[in-house]
Amino acid sequence: MKLLQPVSAPSRIGLGLAFFALFVALWSVATFGGFVQKLFLADPLTMLGEGYNLLVRYGFSFDIAMTIWRVVGGFILAVIVALPLGILMGAYKPIEAFFEPFVSFARYLPASAFIPLLILWAGIGEAQKLLVIFIGSVFQLILMIAVAVGSIRRDLVDAAYTLGAGDRSVVMRVLLPNAAPEIAEILRMVLGWAWTYVIVAELIGSSSGIGHMITDSQALLNTGQIIFGIIVIGLIGLISDFLFKAVNQRLFPWAAK
Amino acid sequence: MSKLVIDQVGKSFPARHGGQATRALLPTSLSVADNDFITILGPSGCGKSTLLRMVGGLETPTEGRILLDGEPVSGPGADRGFVFQSYTLFPWLTVAQNIAFGLREKGVAEGERLRIAADWAGRIGLRGFENHYPKQLSGGMQQRTAIARALANDPKILLLDEPFGALDNQTRALMQEMLLGIWERERKTVLFVTHDVEEAIFMASRVVVISARPGRIKADIPVDLPHPRPYTIKTTPDFVALKERLVEEIRAEVMASAA
Repeated sequence: MKLLQPVSAPSRIGLGLAFFALFVALWSVATFGGFVQKLFLADPLTMLGEGYNLLVRYGFSFDIAMTIWRVVGGFILAVIVALPLGILMGAYKPIEAFFEPFVSFARYLPASAFIPLLILWAGIGEAQKLLVIFIGSVFQLILMIAVAVGSIRRDLVDAAYTLGAGDRSVVMRVLLPNAAPEIAEILRMVLGWAWTYVIVAELIGSSSGIGHMITDSQALLNTGQIIFGIIVIGLIGLISDFLFKAVNQRLFPWAAK
Repeated sequence: MSKLVIDQVGKSFPARHGGQATRALLPTSLSVADNDFITILGPSGCGKSTLLRMVGGLETPTEGRILLDGEPVSGPGADRGFVFQSYTLFPWLTVAQNIAFGLREKGVAEGERLRIAADWAGRIGLRGFENHYPKQLSGGMQQRTAIARALANDPKILLLDEPFGALDNQTRALMQEMLLGIWERERKTVLFVTHDVEEAIFMASRVVVISARPGRIKADIPVDLPHPRPYTIKTTPDFVALKERLVEEIRAEVMASAA
């Protein structure tokens, strides 16, 4: 092992899988070896069996679909608000000065703490779930997009002006394309955070979704189902992350290292 | 009639933290004839770039006025092409799209834009590179593209701020020949800022020497060398004599600013 030396693609995949294997091995030793009571932690095989039950008998795929729709729906709403506002804040400093302090304050408000209030306002329907995701991601998005748009090299802007571009053109043809790869990366990250909010929203006052299944299983002391639910969330996160990365590389070939 | 008139133009930068205001350029006057190639020569920090940026509309003069074709300059515009010392190609656009950036602002149709961009790519020796991104190009290729991008707009005057400053000596010499070749064919009005004496003489029909900060015009020397100028002209007696004289002028200024 040499400092900062990159690894080849096959060995990177191999190493990555190796840790998953080690993790499952430790889990197996702890459960099959009888070191942990079944009541508290199901073994890997029981977990897989419960997962099969969930999917085949209890219509768990509907819960998964509900959860995905809530995350994606709330996240898209947040993007619709955050994108134009973030771009304006990045481009025009007085607009940034107007919104930035409030948004900075608001982003530290924990989205999960809003859930009781949101239930009061929006009931326990879909609107409340979407709002939790929205509140959890919109402020983060606004600030990060504003920084991405504002961090343009001054000489690129100057070059555009000397080529006859007006303010509107500079925003559309210079600031936006310059920030686009970073904005895509920001969306990828914040979508990951949105996943943690949706489960919290579903733990309270919900009749469907992965989070709802997890609370139900807790009442039945079915740790196998709970772990299966958690693993499904992890897998979906991994897949969406992978898709985002692939799309970004394709959309912005000029930015690739 | 003069293409460009710089009339008693000066620049001070405002005081910071209660300090004194910085005088970058004393009131300076300069007339540039149509199709002239003028190099502005001076030591680092003498205000020569500030003068050029004011002509480009990227800085506002503290006093005086700048007229292009009799019209006062206020802010940057497509009639004054600008080439920067730093690499300023848009990294998300290909060579052809970079060259055509200003044409799209003017509303030129796409087919025509592509034709002009391809034409310019050929003229700067980048045929076959039209669809490359800037990161795939060498520094010299990037600066050639930046020159083509400015000229494709067909500006009234071309302003260059030490465009070859970051290049190695050999590339720099080739770039000078290429730019001079373009000027000999197109006959544009050019204002070229540099701190390199040889570069200043080789391309110019007039060398304007700026003093150490605060800048003012110290000498205005015509270069009567014949055109076309091959690179071998740099070793002729006339060229060497001119170089000796300018080196002397600049040396005095560098010593003044170091003192």
